[in-house]
Amino acid sequence: MNVERIKNAEIMLDNVGMTYDAADGKKVQALTSVTMDIQKGEFISLLGPSGCGKTTLLRIIADLLQPTSGKVLIGGETPKEARLKRKYGMVFQSAVLYDWRTVIKNIELPLEIIHEGKAERRERAVKMLDLVGLSEFANHYPRQLSGGMQQRVGIARALALQPEILLMDEPFSALDEFTREKLHIDLLKIWRKTNKTIIFVTHNISESVFLSDRVCVLSPHPGRLSAVIDIDLPRPRTMEIRDTPEFTALVAKVRNSFEGV
Amino acid sequence: MAAKVNKKRRSAVQSVVCPLIFGIALIAAWQTGLLHIVLNTDEYVLPYPTRIITIIGENSDKIMTNVWASVQVAVLGLIFGSLLGYLIAIFATVFPKYGSGGLTIVSAFNAIPIVALAPVIINWTKDVSSEAEVRSAVAKVIVVTVVSMASMSVNAYRGLTELPPFSDDLMKTYAAGRLTEFVKLRLPNSVPYIFTALRVSVPGSVISALVSEYFAEYITGVGRQIRENILIAQYSTAWAYIVTACIIGIVMYAVLMVIEAIVLKKRR
Amino acid sequence: MKAIRKIVNSKAFVTLVWIAVIIIIWEICAARVAEVKRTPENVLPHLSGVIDSLTSDRKINGSQTALGMVLENAGATLSRAAVGYVIGIAAGFILALLMSLSGIIEKIAFPYLMLIQLIPILGMAPIINAITGDIAVSRIVIAAILTFYPVAANTLAGFKAVRREAHELMYSYAANKLQLYTKTMIPACIPYFFTGLKISAPMAITASILVDTLQGGIGLGCLLSQSLKGAMTRYVFWDIVFFSAVIGILSFYIMGLIETLLCPYKRLEKKGR
Repeated sequence: MNVERIKNAEIMLDNVGMTYDAADGKKVQALTSVTMDIQKGEFISLLGPSGCGKTTLLRIIADLLQPTSGKVLIGGETPKEARLKRKYGMVFQSAVLYDWRTVIKNIELPLEIIHEGKAERRERAVKMLDLVGLSEFANHYPRQLSGGMQQRVGIARALALQPEILLMDEPFSALDEFTREKLHIDLLKIWRKTNKTIIFVTHNISESVFLSDRVCVLSPHPGRLSAVIDIDLPRPRTMEIRDTPEFTALVAKVRNSFEGV
Repeated sequence: MAAKVNKKRRSAVQSVVCPLIFGIALIAAWQTGLLHIVLNTDEYVLPYPTRIITIIGENSDKIMTNVWASVQVAVLGLIFGSLLGYLIAIFATVFPKYGSGGLTIVSAFNAIPIVALAPVIINWTKDVSSEAEVRSAVAKVIVVTVVSMASMSVNAYRGLTELPPFSDDLMKTYAAGRLTEFVKLRLPNSVPYIFTALRVSVPGSVISALVSEYFAEYITGVGRQIRENILIAQYSTAWAYIVTACIIGIVMYAVLMVIEAIVLKKRR
Repeated sequence: MKAIRKIVNSKAFVTLVWIAVIIIIWEICAARVAEVKRTPENVLPHLSGVIDSLTSDRKINGSQTALGMVLENAGATLSRAAVGYVIGIAAGFILALLMSLSGIIEKIAFPYLMLIQLIPILGMAPIINAITGDIAVSRIVIAAILTFYPVAANTLAGFKAVRREAHELMYSYAANKLQLYTKTMIPACIPYFFTGLKISAPMAITASILVDTLQGGIGLGCLLSQSLKGAMTRYVFWDIVFFSAVIGILSFYIMGLIETLLCPYKRLEKKGR
């Protein structure tokens, strides 16, 4: 393996493959030989229809799944080492907030896990809550919040541990279009302020184009990386950018890069 | 791949073998007297399993008579209670405001100890028949009815009202009448809930049948035999009836499971 | 006018109307019984008679009023029920915890947990009394066994209902097993745990009263048998029936109350996900 690659890439995927056993005893190729490098501070989308292996790939990076072939390195370490060093922040499709904790206590949860002091915990949580613009809801319970607000708390919680990599699994897919577009802008602001590496799984083409530096297009049967498309739209991106011909052209380019759908 | 399939099979085997080993170990401890040491009792109060089986074999005729008496009470009470409970649920669905309030009352009945209920009902049924056997049976059936009613009414009400989203709107777009809506939507929707209720009330009916026998005038039934035999210090016979009572509980539940599997087969 | 309508439409009012209806039916029946029976209190007394017997200061056994007697015996019965209840809760919770922690323990215990609910434990009360040899201990043991199953089964269901994402979240924090349980699993199963407590509270009381009836001495069930046999006024029987009904129902609501106090979030209306 190229020493130069290991040194430069934040996340390095080398021939990563995943084979499942189906119920009928047949092998199912969920993912075949994915090779790519992700640089520090990059915003990467994993885009594809269901069954393309995009979530599988995210879960392999997150150390939730072990690839059956190939190698993953996170800053030169295995995903497990990276997880134990708490390099990951996870955001799921639903916010997965704890009903019994107030918003601020939900954000403090990961800090309790690493035995952070009480004052330090509160200070960091307040800062994170401010970052996602929900300061006045600190003492609300999750079920008092709308879906969009809940997901913002989920992002604040993921950022609380100050991870290097934010892993987001279709985080906005359950929200309505208006809330989603608002959260796109907010997420990009947070990303600029915190300078995290973000891996963002989605099945929404325009969402991936709007947010990312690069869109990784995955195609199903078998799951594979069929294209990587650079999104050279200027930053900071605003709502209006969606109306430009450049944006439309990129969306079309991404759409045309799918194979066998 | 083969490894994973093997793992699944091994897990299935484990979930049969592990409890089996535990059960055999328990019976072995019982038969060898180890259990008696642990419980600080003797083989007179807690006879060996082989002895209990012998007693069951020797008294099978008498035991069957009592089983029949208890099962009749449990099943009749279960049927009446479930029907009544379902009717209450329908009433609560048709008149939601007063109906659901009534359900609160019915479920509160559930918290009344059977021990308090049984003597009251036995009092009330004194004039039903001149024969003690008949009026005792009626009283016992009523106790089981009351106990089974609550769980059915609460669960059936949920089944009749917790409909799939928009399904009632769909019925409205068909301009279906209330009766059609009831027959085509609410009734079928409530079927799984009926079984949820029965899973609670089947064991409940057996227990309340046995307990109501304690207070009944006429001496019959598995529960009463447990008590009568202990009063005359016939512990082995009492244990024979305890084992029988357990078998009744398990068999009735198994029958329910079979019926449920058949009825709900198409839904899965 | 608006205020009145609000009261009339409230749930509490509906419940009160139902209670009133039941009382009226009871009284009508009691009046009918009083006409045809020589000793109406044996079948259906007027509610006023029951209340009178509780409030009267007439000594019914030389030293105690009916109320004093019921309360003293209730103390013996309920304290044992409470001890058994607490032991059953602890045992049920611990078993659910062990089953959730270890696949082997779950496999061993699961079929037996199912079997326990099918076995008529109350029917076994006399034999448990014979084994323990002490009625106080039997009350505790039977109340504990009856409490055990609903608590264990519901708590286990609560552990299983924790969503996969919550597990993955804790995994991504590299949380240890103790943290997984104290921060996620146990708080998440609390509502399920309380479902178990609510089901088993009246059962523990029923069990304790039933065990009383098996033997002389002190206890509500014992008093109940004596009154039925005519050893004292029949009203004591009715006092116990009402008292145990009220206690049984109250125990259910008290558990619900404790739950809402412990879980303030449960009071909140759920908003969209």
